[in-house]
Amino acid sequence: MFEIYRKELLELLRDRKTLFFVIALPILIFPLIIGFMVFLSSQATQSAEQKVHQFALVNGHYAPDFAQRLFYHKSFKQTKENDMYSTIDDLVSAVKSGKIDVGVYIPKAAHEAMQLGEQTTWSVVFNDAKAINFIYTRIEELKTRFTDELVSDALTQYGVVKEKQEAFLHPISLQKVDTADKRENLGEKLGGIIPYLLIPLILAGAIYPAIDMGAGEKERGTLETLLLTPVSRTQLVLGKFLTLLTTSVSSAIITVASLGIWVGIAVTFIQVDVIKVAFASVGAGEFVLIFMLLLPVAAILSSLVLAISIYARTFKEAQNYMGPLNFLIILPMMASIMPNMQLSSTTALIPITNVSLAIKDIIKGTVDMNLVWLIFISTAVLGGILLAACVRWFSKESVLFR
Amino acid sequence: MIELKELQKRFKLQVKSKPNDESKDPREREGYFYSVENVSFSCNTNEVLGLLGPNGAGKTTTLRMLSTALMPDEGDITIAGQSIVKDPIFGRRSIGFLSGSTGLYGKLTAKENVSYFAKLHGYRGKALASRLEELFTLLDMHSFLDKRADTLSTGMKQKTNIARAVVHEPQIVVLDEPTTGLDIMTKQTVLQFIQQLKSAGTPVIFSTHHLDEVAMLCDRVHVIDKGFSCFDGSIADFKAHSRDGELNQAFLNLLGAKSDV
Repeated sequence: MFEIYRKELLELLRDRKTLFFVIALPILIFPLIIGFMVFLSSQATQSAEQKVHQFALVNGHYAPDFAQRLFYHKSFKQTKENDMYSTIDDLVSAVKSGKIDVGVYIPKAAHEAMQLGEQTTWSVVFNDAKAINFIYTRIEELKTRFTDELVSDALTQYGVVKEKQEAFLHPISLQKVDTADKRENLGEKLGGIIPYLLIPLILAGAIYPAIDMGAGEKERGTLETLLLTPVSRTQLVLGKFLTLLTTSVSSAIITVASLGIWVGIAVTFIQVDVIKVAFASVGAGEFVLIFMLLLPVAAILSSLVLAISIYARTFKEAQNYMGPLNFLIILPMMASIMPNMQLSSTTALIPITNVSLAIKDIIKGTVDMNLVWLIFISTAVLGGILLAACVRWFSKESVLFR
Repeated sequence: MIELKELQKRFKLQVKSKPNDESKDPREREGYFYSVENVSFSCNTNEVLGLLGPNGAGKTTTLRMLSTALMPDEGDITIAGQSIVKDPIFGRRSIGFLSGSTGLYGKLTAKENVSYFAKLHGYRGKALASRLEELFTLLDMHSFLDKRADTLSTGMKQKTNIARAVVHEPQIVVLDEPTTGLDIMTKQTVLQFIQQLKSAGTPVIFSTHHLDEVAMLCDRVHVIDKGFSCFDGSIADFKAHSRDGELNQAFLNLLGAKSDV
């Protein structure tokens, strides 16, 4: 068995494609892609923040203070053709034609309307389809300041002194007293992401070598020679299975270590206290526990891809069969982030969902060790059944000589 | 001595043929294709047996049963009286199998390929080193031992394959169309190897379509047609099936085919 394991590993280490998928991709390519995406999105946010928008204001004289604040706002510049616009339709066609970025239509004098007990609806005309857009929030901020002043003036007129106006407007305010500590809070948010990162990587680390070890051997004509050695089918499957377990877990560890190093480097340059707080409270023992929980998942996925690969006649056929596996693991992972989905004696029996929930609880620091043991047992049993099916598959002539 | 007794092997058909379909192969019955219906022959020490038959006759299935890759549905195969159907591991230790379509592990060197199979057969330490050295010298492989298999020429690959097939010193060697698709030089390597085995007294069973190879190497011929054994005898007996002793004509006459050859 170990002779097969050693030979399979040697072959994989000499295969550039495997080295690329298992080592280069997680160490360099993933961080580069993630870094590039972060860079692009921060550039886009920065440029949206700094952009000065051309605006037109119809009936600005109805709200002179607002008009003045908008005119002097650093992110807005009034169009020279402001007098050309008098209706909402004028503003819509101007925004559509790109002459202005935003138009504000004030239908009547705000102060007088309020005195009469009427609410006024202003229209903000702009293109909201852009992903990063600060136009509406900035106009809203200016409007809030303006209405606060209107209300304050009105209350003063009615004899309410400035000091009492806040209590008059908002007699009750709520204060949030969170019993969850920072770790639990962050664990709930970050803990759900970690399985999404690790489990697909485990699958990716197993798929390519599995295709090569099953369908690849069939296609090259080496499988038959292997079957004619005195090695039992169980030893043969175990040798190949252990290789897949090694590559899949290695791929996940390399990726996480690589991301950890890159995040560590990034944190020294940028202050990201949230990440520091979240991970400083997770102990080494808990990281080991996460790793231990990933082993049975890797065992299940390795047995599954090996069985599929040995059934396939060719490399290409195996690739086609492996495609839907990504959906197969994403669905139970999605279940783990559904609202109110918690680790229980029932969910501990659902493959992949159980490990995803347990990882989340470990990061939060609220994991129940009895349920962890239940996960170990249920996943190990499933892994064993799949492995036994794999051995049976390897003994069937109709599969080996399809 | 190896003996095959009344072997039968059938494969389940993916698509069943219609019961009254006149064009269907008579070997398709009850949802199965009977690749081998009844094949019996033996091969003794110091003997080279040529296994002949047209395409689809059942030669490869027979040899795969002989190599223990496939298990017969009926019949038995014995080596020195011991059944390899009941004890396939004994069969795998006793038989060296090489087919024309056998591949090598491309990312391993020639030496690593042969060594891997030797280790799977239980060779370790000095016994391993000594067996490898013996084979590499015999097949003149030293010049390319450390080259990866995917960079080797066809001839080098075939020598590596031969070494792999006999690394465990098998009692019997089985070759399934070992010269198909090879150039003259590589073919010569294979034929010389069979000659060497014959000189060493190792029984060899090999299937081929090249009757000149049969004339050159074989002591006996066994012919399979449509899943049945239809001839077993010496080269002289085989030649007797043609008026002028011509092998191709003898083969065609045996199968009942008309030819101008």
